[in-house]
Amino acid sequence: MSNINGKVYAMNVVTPMKPWKTWFLRLIFFLLGAIKSKQQDLINLSFIEFARWVIVPRKSFPRPDERMDAEELRYDYLLFFSNFNGTWNQYIDAFSAVLFQGLNLIWMWSEKFPGSVPVTPFKEYISRVQFDTDYYYTAYPHATANDLKAAHIVQASFDQLDATTATCTPREFEAAYLKFMLQVQSHLGETGEPPVVF
Amino acid sequence: MSKLNVTDIQGFTLRGYNLPFARYLFLHFAEDPKHTRALLHELLGRITTGQCWDNGKPSSTLNIALSHRGLAALKLPAATLLTFPVEFQEGMKARSEILGDTGINAPKNWDEMWHSGHVHAWVAINGQTPADIDACHAELTDLIEKTGGARELGHQDAAAIVVDGGASTIEHFGYTDGFGNPDYVGVDRKSQPGHGKLAKDGKSWEPLATGELLLGYADEAGELPVAPMPHLLASNGTFMVYRKLKQNVAAFRAYIDHEAKFYTGGKAKLEAKFIGRWKDGTPLELSPNYENQAIVKDPDQSTNFTYSGDPEGTRCPMGAHLRRVNPRDSFGFKGGLVNRRRITRRGLPYGRYVPDGQPVSDTEDRGIVFMVLNASISRQFEFVQQQWIEYGNDNHLGNDKDPLLGNHGGHGKFAIQGDATAANPPMICSKLPNFVELKGGEYFFLPSITALGMLAMDLVDPR
Repeated sequence: MSNINGKVYAMNVVTPMKPWKTWFLRLIFFLLGAIKSKQQDLINLSFIEFARWVIVPRKSFPRPDERMDAEELRYDYLLFFSNFNGTWNQYIDAFSAVLFQGLNLIWMWSEKFPGSVPVTPFKEYISRVQFDTDYYYTAYPHATANDLKAAHIVQASFDQLDATTATCTPREFEAAYLKFMLQVQSHLGETGEPPVVF
Repeated sequence: MSKLNVTDIQGFTLRGYNLPFARYLFLHFAEDPKHTRALLHELLGRITTGQCWDNGKPSSTLNIALSHRGLAALKLPAATLLTFPVEFQEGMKARSEILGDTGINAPKNWDEMWHSGHVHAWVAINGQTPADIDACHAELTDLIEKTGGARELGHQDAAAIVVDGGASTIEHFGYTDGFGNPDYVGVDRKSQPGHGKLAKDGKSWEPLATGELLLGYADEAGELPVAPMPHLLASNGTFMVYRKLKQNVAAFRAYIDHEAKFYTGGKAKLEAKFIGRWKDGTPLELSPNYENQAIVKDPDQSTNFTYSGDPEGTRCPMGAHLRRVNPRDSFGFKGGLVNRRRITRRGLPYGRYVPDGQPVSDTEDRGIVFMVLNASISRQFEFVQQQWIEYGNDNHLGNDKDPLLGNHGGHGKFAIQGDATAANPPMICSKLPNFVELKGGEYFFLPSITALGMLAMDLVDPR
């Protein structure tokens, strides 16, 4: 049981919210969803593969069996799920350093949220509300999101080179190959073992 | 904020002395801590502080730092010893896997002195002349003998490389070194654009929070760095990383000569691409095609650049040493992701300098004594070493390592981005060997004068 598989870390965070506060968060999610530019900072953190927040209302918890009584829950819950490359510390450090405003908007409705700055109380909070991953599959444990994106660029560029140079002269090939090199030159990192987690 | 109490801070923390000679001594403390305390007591008045030198530079300086084993040998309360950060408690040797200090760089290949694990203290003497160093060393030896507080395990000499009869700032590979250490709030030093962190406008520069260097002050996250208790023991102190880096100059020159045959930009440019500066110090980012002393000599230019205009690395490669270890705004967010990863560097070359063109052998030991000062070894030095030197994902470089410092083991790769001109072609350097090897080192705590007094007088109460 580990949250880590190769270069990827899976984080699950569940926090309780008083139901009247959930409405504010719904409004914020609506606005963030509508204004795409507001998502840009999160997207620009290139080591994040995926990040999503979901409200789980207290009345929509599943019942394994109809014969069981519905639970009477006092709180709605906010589920945060993210896959990222790098260490837990690195991830939360980056969140706290450059996304603190957005994070505060989303998590301030959760009980006992201390704010995302300064980072130490924020880390303590996350470590208390984080649920460890039971099983975690990743297709490319030796690659990061950057590596995968780079591989697509290299493959597409190579296919293009292949398709356009079948019948060309050596001089034409030289020009096409230089063009190919310029397309792929900043996407050639090796894949491999991740650094030791600390 | 008001000025720092510089008389309480060791001078080594606040400034590079710019003295051409140095000797780093390594001590093992006495069995009975009483004798060691007596030694520290004797040293107390001799330690060079951060006080301004009104009458010019002294002939020599003296500074001291202690390893966690050294603090334990002083019989500090266990409750206090446990409050030090984990990485410092473990020491550098135990962190070798994290740091990528494996293979040829593994502790078993370090200099003999480091094998025992008995280094308790580092004592640095910087001086104007070798005679000044010897005099200070003799004085120290007398104090050691008088008090019986320690024994010397060994020492490392270092000196600025002499060029045209004068001390220079070049290192053994021939690059001009020592440009930009970070500025910190309250630390009085000659400042220039590019030395601190990027301001919100993404163009101008401002000093980093004091707590990125010194314990007891707010850091860039707006909180006090993790520090030992009681706080008087920590305040005005810092953590120091000592690394002896052997430079394989013959291997480097042979590699460059070989690769330059295939690089139409010319050998000098190829050398510049490895580091991000031309050998004379001109930043590639500001002058991609030739050396320019007007830039090097102008403090408003020599460190004043960003990478946002060069996202593909066609001027300064994404993997160049300079761009890796101080990425500035490379990751966007106006540098917001790098401000808590900055380190202050100190150091001098050691060993005989062999100018370019003269026969050189790597069986002869030469290199650089490299020291880092930072409030958090794990957050700052270890992060830079692991993520930016021995790995490359933040720079979209996968597992590629720093071309110059990386522990390549003969399998390294360095992609030099270029454009469609013959003067700046793309190039892949492969089968990189280790140009630099680690020969030893340790993590030390560089205490304030107050803290040194507390240690000398056995006044550290458990908290």
